[in-house]
Amino acid sequence: MAKWGMVIDLDKCTGCQACTTACAMENNRLPGENWQDVLFYHEGKYPSAKLMWFPRPCMHCEHPSCVDVCPTRATYKTEDGLVLIDWNKCIGCKYCMIACPYGVRFYVDERPLVEPDVRGVFPGAGRGMWSPPYRAPNDREDWVHGVGIQPSGVVSKCTFCYHKISKAPKGVADLDEDIPELKEYVPACVRMCPPKARYFGDLDNPASHVNKLIADKRGVRLLDQTGNKPQVYYLSGGAGASVPGSRAAKT
Amino acid sequence: MATQASFKGPVNTVFAAAAIGVGVSLAIVAVALFTRGHAAFNTTSQGPLSWGLPIVTYDYFLLASTGLAFVASLALAFGVRDFYPIARRCVWLALATAAAAVVALTLELGHPLRAFWAIPLSFQYLSPLFWKPFFIAAYGVLLLVVFNRMTRPGWDYAANRGLGVALFVAAVAVALNAGAVFGMMAMRPFWYGPLIPVYFLAESFLSGVAFAMLVTYLAYGLDPKAMPDKARALLTGAMPGIFAAALAVVIAMVGSRAVTGLWSNAEGLQAFDWMVGSPLFHLELWVGLVLPLVLMLRPGSRNQPSMQLAAAVLVLVALFIGRYEFVIGGQVVPLFKGSWVPGFVRYTPSLTEWMLLLLALSVAFAVYAFGEKRFDLSATPGEKR
Repeated sequence: MAKWGMVIDLDKCTGCQACTTACAMENNRLPGENWQDVLFYHEGKYPSAKLMWFPRPCMHCEHPSCVDVCPTRATYKTEDGLVLIDWNKCIGCKYCMIACPYGVRFYVDERPLVEPDVRGVFPGAGRGMWSPPYRAPNDREDWVHGVGIQPSGVVSKCTFCYHKISKAPKGVADLDEDIPELKEYVPACVRMCPPKARYFGDLDNPASHVNKLIADKRGVRLLDQTGNKPQVYYLSGGAGASVPGSRAAKT
Repeated sequence: MATQASFKGPVNTVFAAAAIGVGVSLAIVAVALFTRGHAAFNTTSQGPLSWGLPIVTYDYFLLASTGLAFVASLALAFGVRDFYPIARRCVWLALATAAAAVVALTLELGHPLRAFWAIPLSFQYLSPLFWKPFFIAAYGVLLLVVFNRMTRPGWDYAANRGLGVALFVAAVAVALNAGAVFGMMAMRPFWYGPLIPVYFLAESFLSGVAFAMLVTYLAYGLDPKAMPDKARALLTGAMPGIFAAALAVVIAMVGSRAVTGLWSNAEGLQAFDWMVGSPLFHLELWVGLVLPLVLMLRPGSRNQPSMQLAAAVLVLVALFIGRYEFVIGGQVVPLFKGSWVPGFVRYTPSLTEWMLLLLALSVAFAVYAFGEKRFDLSATPGEKR
């Protein structure tokens, strides 16, 4: 069984947000409910201030604190290393949002993150919270794995495009959009990345390209001190895109 | 069994006010939740700030309930005879405040009914929220059993010590578990710490003493002369002393936590700057905790009914502020949201959230007043008045 993971080369990331847009379109996210996001921030002060950015999907941790705190096992770890949410079991207690150090979970039964509230413009038909005009085919709806238009009162998050990667041929080391027969199984954010800053593959396969990148370019994990052990690795040589400073700016 | 005198306290007024409070707040909350869902709350995934005033309300009343059970346990489990006159009232009020907590949580959860089957069947023993419903259920059942037994003729504290001990253990489990929910969160340093459950335990006991004092006065029309001798003796004897001791412990905890937090510089502990920079914190510490401690220490004021009542009310307000600061403070430092959010997450409870607080408060006092009308909460088994 694969242990899927992602590598993001920060030296290549241009902060273009194509990944964010691709994720939103692929997964029918509400505006602002960015399962995948690029966070912009600044460090330093004039004249040495720097604008920086940081691409941030769900880390699909090896030891996810969100899974341990979920009282219903609605949030769970799959055999192939994904952290998913079963919307049939989620009670909307939001403890997982509290326990996630990376802020990658969303409870959309709340004030709209972006005005106007499109849920009012495209009200939900049936069980879903809303009916986006660019809605993916209905057969993609898979509540057990947190895929599709979510119902109200549940938490949602990045699935690493479970609906795509779960159909990939068994035993492949990497899901690379440059391999024609595999491109349909590549997560949307990886496939759409214009500078090819993202790589997706099997972390348990020593021959996978992602493992080579992590070894050769000294991949690091975000907030590794939490013990969550993310399955997303960052490569950085100190260019514009980088891991944020360890301390937030004071106000 | 001694019975309550033909006393006419302000219970009818309390019941009427609480009933109106339940009606008005429930109507507003229900309309808001049915029409807008949880968008009626000002909590947000942006930040995120996921737990707002409803969780503050829930924890406040839950800890008040366990605190009242602790006070009752002084008589029921530990055999301190001084507390016999208020034990029954405390048990009933513990039920009332537990009901208020459950109401608040039910309206906060996305799928409260699903929780009834999804939590027990999950066997997710790693989550403190898995254990919590079991502890609360056991605690609630024990409260009901103890209260029911107390209304039976021939009830005797000494003969039912086992039941009292079981209730005390259940209350401790609930309070410790409530603290563990936050204390286990290593990724949020403002909350994290193995002593947080103990902190909850101390605050719970203090809120129990304050609530017990308040309702004892309410039950006798704020008039000590209307009280039975034993109840009056308690309020002029052990009660102010225990109140002061509990206050001293909580002040030490609040103060040392604030100083430690301000000194330390780990990411997330900026929340202590946010907390201490707020006037609410100083209202809580100086007016809500230190002033009542002074009142309960000074010989001239510690036995004065008006001073005791004022101290109880101030402490109850202070503990609510403290609970608010604690729950919100753990979330005010944003997690990886870039420069598009402020250094601290802004949060102001919505009208619906305030109404949910009013609803919980009204439920607590409505149930309490109902009990005061329906049962003889002043009865002191085995004791002649």
